[in-house]
Amino acid sequence: MNCTIVAAQSQLIREEIVDLESRLQDAKERLNSIEGAVAPFPSLPNEGPISASSHHFLFLLADSALPLGSFAFSSGLESYLAHTSPTPSFPHFLTLSLSSYASTNLPFVLAAHINPLDILALDDAQDATIMCPVARRASVAQGRALLSIWDRSFSPVASAASSPSSAVQALKVFSTILRSSSGSGTASELPPASAHIAPLFGAVACILGLSLKQTAYVFVLSHVKALLSAAVRAGRFGPYHAQKVLASLEVQAGIHEVLEREWGIRIEDAGQTVPVMDLWIGRHEMLYSRIFNS
Amino acid sequence: MNSPFPASSSAPGEGKLVVELLPQKTSALSTITSQYPLKLISPSPQSYQKSVLVFFLTYGGGLVGGDQVHLTIDVKANSKLSIVTQGHTKIFKSPSSDVVTRQQLQVTLEAGAAVCLLPDPVQPFKGSVYEQSQIFTLHETASLCLLDWVSAGRIARGEDWDFSAWSGRNEVWAAEPKARLLLRDNVILEGDEIDAQDKKLEKKMHNLDIFGTLVLRGPLVENLAAFLLAEFAALPRLKAQDFRSQAKIDRDLKTNLSQHEIWRRARLEQELGCGLLWSAAKIRGCIVVKFGSLTVEGARTWIGNMIKEQGSVEKTFGESAIMCIK
Repeated sequence: MNCTIVAAQSQLIREEIVDLESRLQDAKERLNSIEGAVAPFPSLPNEGPISASSHHFLFLLADSALPLGSFAFSSGLESYLAHTSPTPSFPHFLTLSLSSYASTNLPFVLAAHINPLDILALDDAQDATIMCPVARRASVAQGRALLSIWDRSFSPVASAASSPSSAVQALKVFSTILRSSSGSGTASELPPASAHIAPLFGAVACILGLSLKQTAYVFVLSHVKALLSAAVRAGRFGPYHAQKVLASLEVQAGIHEVLEREWGIRIEDAGQTVPVMDLWIGRHEMLYSRIFNS
Repeated sequence: MNSPFPASSSAPGEGKLVVELLPQKTSALSTITSQYPLKLISPSPQSYQKSVLVFFLTYGGGLVGGDQVHLTIDVKANSKLSIVTQGHTKIFKSPSSDVVTRQQLQVTLEAGAAVCLLPDPVQPFKGSVYEQSQIFTLHETASLCLLDWVSAGRIARGEDWDFSAWSGRNEVWAAEPKARLLLRDNVILEGDEIDAQDKKLEKKMHNLDIFGTLVLRGPLVENLAAFLLAEFAALPRLKAQDFRSQAKIDRDLKTNLSQHEIWRRARLEQELGCGLLWSAAKIRGCIVVKFGSLTVEGARTWIGNMIKEQGSVEKTFGESAIMCIK
């Protein structure tokens, strides 16, 4: 008895709400048609994905126009294609390269981001882990380019901002040591600094205010982009297919997977996860004709 | 009741070797101790021996899941040591992935000392979990020849990189003026879940049945290092075209080949036959050779052929130093 009354009442109220809503909608439409108004333009938010200056630098570091000279290197792709012809598979190579690149470089990126003051020691430690001159050349060329970008382009802005000044100082010392050693170093003596891309990228990204995860993600994504660009230029497929691969869920999942795997790995435990990659990269110089430097 | 025997100072799996140069200029062991499951034996010294020979053995020819072996070696000034094994070091299955089988080697080489480590390959069985670490600290005049290789497992039983985990670490440190890392060669292989459908590791290894690294440093292996770098530089270019006619090729083969070129041609054919890929490079004063082959025996023949053809390891360390790669 009681229940049926309650049910009937709530039914009445629901009908009333529907009626009111439709009248409200109707009233709004009439108002709009009179005023010819569009929805008010949202005010510029101070919160969200592109508010801080670090986002500005995130986009600069993620830009493929960042002059690192990455286009000159194929990270073993060219050699892989020659070694496995006639049946090379780019997706397979991409998986292997992503795993190998992350396991050999990412711990150094993370360590340098966490402690940029260690840049000299990290650079020297990574130099001892790169087992072939072709890969070393690629890493050093891009590292030096990044250091030049820092010196000439980023540092005036970053020094004025609220960056950790001791880290800025550490980079300055590093580039002084690098310059003094490259001129005078004898052949037998090991130079104190080489300028590998991984630790320098970590340190620069830290100073520019990128978070640890952003830094790692951009670093790995840049590698994937460079590989795809190399594959396009090597004639494997066209630019639309390259974008399709870049956008694919597989690549996104692949990056997250290696980030998760390398997170918290000490630099002493960084190493090669794809041994045959060392052979392909090391044998790049055996190619009769080549369009890339690695 | 008190034991009549002296108390054992070493823990299970621990071993220690000290090699010294005797006044009559031969190398000899002043210490050799080992505890189960590690076993070190050395044949009785000969006056003409070029280096001390030590067999690195384990009871049963392998390491059972969870075994820990830790060998410390001191090679005193100007003395020489060569270490060999007596067959593949088998790594047996671990009951679970957190039971790690470990082998650690720590070697210190004083001025003019030399170590030659040319063992058989490590053979990790299905389901094994293995961690190997070999750390060498060298005086700047010391010499090292180190071979580290791992196979796909019991190939005859169909195993193909079926272990649960394998990691190998080779480090070379300069002792002076202050300790500095010269080389760190880490290989980390993560196995697939047992009975996984998608054999990721097998695909990663690209049909190779064996993968190895040879590290050389120091004056006594300088010639071998130069030889390997020269052979690598002399490899034929990939995808190169030979524009000579077949008749001219045959004629050139008959007339212009030196003894060494004939050897090289035979070796290149052997490389092709067992799908052997290799690279050699100088890294921070060390020469690193990486190689992989479709067959274990192909790799053994290849590395043995290289080292024998050049000949300096045999001359420096004696014939027995290379018994595992013959």
